[in-house]
Amino acid sequence: MEELDLLKKAWKKDNQSFHQISESEIYSMLHKKSSSIVKWILIISILEVLFWTAISVLYNTDDYMKKLHAENLMIYFKALNFVNYAVILVFIFCFYKNYVKISATASTKQLMQDILKTRRTVQYYVWYNLTMIFLSLIAGFIIAFTFNPKMDVVKYKIAHENNYHTLLITLGIIVLTIIVCIGIFWLFYRLLYGILLRKLNANYKELQRIDL
Amino acid sequence: MSEELEKSFVKQLKENQNIIHKICRLYTNGEDAHNDLFQEITIQLWKAFPKFRGDSKFSTWAYRVALNTAITLYRKSARSVSTITYEGQYHFISPEEYNHEEEEQIKLMYQAVHQLNDIEKALVFLYLEDKDYTEISETLGISEVNARVKMNRIKGKLKKILNP
Repeated sequence: MEELDLLKKAWKKDNQSFHQISESEIYSMLHKKSSSIVKWILIISILEVLFWTAISVLYNTDDYMKKLHAENLMIYFKALNFVNYAVILVFIFCFYKNYVKISATASTKQLMQDILKTRRTVQYYVWYNLTMIFLSLIAGFIIAFTFNPKMDVVKYKIAHENNYHTLLITLGIIVLTIIVCIGIFWLFYRLLYGILLRKLNANYKELQRIDL
Repeated sequence: MSEELEKSFVKQLKENQNIIHKICRLYTNGEDAHNDLFQEITIQLWKAFPKFRGDSKFSTWAYRVALNTAITLYRKSARSVSTITYEGQYHFISPEEYNHEEEEQIKLMYQAVHQLNDIEKALVFLYLEDKDYTEISETLGISEVNARVKMNRIKGKLKKILNP
């Protein structure tokens, strides 16, 4: 390829066309903040963990259970809380381990893989939380249905109705609530990480394609 | 980090800054973006500098970090903006050997390179820096054979851009 070699010849000699940066300018650059994608992933991940941890800590089921006279169920929720804390600790450990592995001196492919792996750790944590929300919602409906006296009217209706209108409406409300709740979170994450990782994903795919 | 380390880093970066400028010019479309990427690369180099042992040349070590920053760590993408005005400022040939026709040809070639995607640009950059395929494949993390195949495809692609 003649032209590329022509460019190569000029390329090597080309050292005058750049505005030369002085030592003092480099010094001031060293103390500026990075805006790399890794930093953004770290910030977002910390916010995510804080958010989900806050939700699981603040969401106190005890009072609700007492109100419904379902104290015998409280032990299960306590156990679930411990599982939650354990999961958070394991997650933070895994995230940290993957995060410190990210190095700009690795090969391009390795670097991308390490970043995506770190990001995937957070994703697993988010999936775990979404699953928990899903299960809590279902458990919440069942508990409300069994223990909440306000539900007696609905139960009576379902039992004495010839058609299944009330049953279908109740089920419909349950399913819709779950879909909307999970859908909102899913959309939020897609948007957030879609924007953040679009370039990285495209370049990673391109690298993979070369080695196919 | 110690003052001495900082001093040695700044000195070496200043001496080798053209490598980083070349990467910035390849991956950005304007002065502001160029300076922004230059700064991010400087920060990443400085963060990785304690691990630099001096068993390879500073420049060899630097272009790996610089390429990684441009391709992966740097968030902004340069593709959407037109490149014509930016390249107009540059002269690739020094005044002594100036040849108008050659200069125009090089400029067209350079604009074609600018239309490649990030990974292809990295291959071209390493090729222009006269790196062999072993080094190219190690830098990008692909196999040597495939690096060679890809480079040939890029040459074909450039030809097509130049002679549509």
